[in-house]
Amino acid sequence: MNPFLGPLDADGRVPASQQTRVAAFLMSAHGALARQLMTALPGRLREGWQVELHIQYCRELELLTLLAGATTWVPDPALPFQFWHWELAWMPQPAEGAQDGRQGRLIDLAAFGHALHAVIRPAALLPENAPPMEPFAVALRRIEFEAGRLMQAHILFLKGPQFESARDVVSAAVEKRHAQVRELWNDMLAGIDVDTSTRHVGDTAYHSVATAAQQGR
Amino acid sequence: MTALTTGRKRIRYDVHGPADGPAYVLVNGLTQYIELWNPYRESLAAKGFRVVTFDMLGQGVSEKPTLHISQDEQVEVLGELIADLGRAPVFLSGISFGGVIALRYAIAHSDKLAGLAPISAFAEISPQLFLLGSAMRTGLTLGGTSYLMDLLFPMNLSNEWLGPAIPLLEAAKRRGWLLNDVYALQNLMESFLDFEPLTPQLGSISVPTMILNGEFDFLTPRPLQESMRAHIPDSELVIVPRCYHAFTLEKPALTAYLLARFAEDVMAGRWKGKGSVWIGPEEPGGEFTLFPEGYDHMRAIPVRRPEPATP
Repeated sequence: MNPFLGPLDADGRVPASQQTRVAAFLMSAHGALARQLMTALPGRLREGWQVELHIQYCRELELLTLLAGATTWVPDPALPFQFWHWELAWMPQPAEGAQDGRQGRLIDLAAFGHALHAVIRPAALLPENAPPMEPFAVALRRIEFEAGRLMQAHILFLKGPQFESARDVVSAAVEKRHAQVRELWNDMLAGIDVDTSTRHVGDTAYHSVATAAQQGR
Repeated sequence: MTALTTGRKRIRYDVHGPADGPAYVLVNGLTQYIELWNPYRESLAAKGFRVVTFDMLGQGVSEKPTLHISQDEQVEVLGELIADLGRAPVFLSGISFGGVIALRYAIAHSDKLAGLAPISAFAEISPQLFLLGSAMRTGLTLGGTSYLMDLLFPMNLSNEWLGPAIPLLEAAKRRGWLLNDVYALQNLMESFLDFEPLTPQLGSISVPTMILNGEFDFLTPRPLQESMRAHIPDSELVIVPRCYHAFTLEKPALTAYLLARFAEDVMAGRWKGKGSVWIGPEEPGGEFTLFPEGYDHMRAIPVRRPEPATP
């Protein structure tokens, strides 16, 4: 197992088989979120959070088209089964213990969005020597960069005063979605020979600098 | 590396050094992780200390609560870790955010400690620190961990260190970026949103306390360190020459020396806190100098303290 995607080919590209699997996973997850956002959106935006939802919906569509165009796709026989496995997992799961069904669905939608943008770190899969302008690498970096911003709407919503009395319900729903997304993401990565759990091992650049400074003194 | 499960939380920690030696527990600052203490593991263990390091909740490879992390939970985790160390004396130190957690622990559990060494810590949030913290949080949410680290490098480290290190900064940043998640860092920073000053409780810290303050630290500058010195009964303030906020990273050999010497002085009965103010050495093994009598250690230029009014 490798902590990063690769090895890169002679042109610095992530192998097409890995690109295909990663992009398929991301498109499945972000596509599901986009569909759920679209369903939750009213025709006329009357509340601030509905505006946020609309922005999210548009950004999710952008991520989907970006991946579709930037990925080098190759046939992957395992994909149809995996895809349906993922799609089933993304189905709405109204939060247990919510006031009513509508609140339960909204909490789950935000929890799913939070998990998707918090747990999945596609850019962190890239090895250090990935070329800065290779399209697939640029797409992964862009998705991760946007995730930090997109997550803010979920955080504001989930930590908002409307859920002050339902904090345990909200936390449980978010924990559940995080665990689910993490498990599926790690399983998918294991399928392409990637295991991110050892990324922290070894000395750090701080030590190299401190050692160099001591030696130069 | 070992995992400790406390309550429902799981943290990564490491113990290094003689099993029967006095323990030094070191608490990370924001965006930090165990490996950054590697130089301390070696040098403190060589002096007979058992060195305990861990990734705080929400950082490194420890569990990252999804929506909320309270500072009480961090103290609880630290307590579990210290409880596992047995009967040998325990010295506790923490840098910045980690210093705050160490202070909180010492306020509640001084009886479990032999000494405390807050580094670039704070017991209250000044307007400047509040605004800098808010800007860092905005930077994190809009620009990600890399941008936050871009802000932290010049706040934390000197030109002397940064200059030759510039080619290596991307590598240092990449490790921090890989190990830290935006949502978890954001939760840690938001644990300060309801922060109440600890200053009124500092009087209950009954153990010898060495407060370390970088001479040029503008993130947690002298007034924040002074309030700890003034309120912790058996304390001393040590100004570490030419240092900024994160001198644990910049000068690990010097800082490890300061920590070891403090603990050795306490254990040998040589410790004389009494609210004194010292200028630390510039190199490991150097001597401490008492801050010049009659001069104001709160100023950056040599200004005499006002004479006490005569009746």
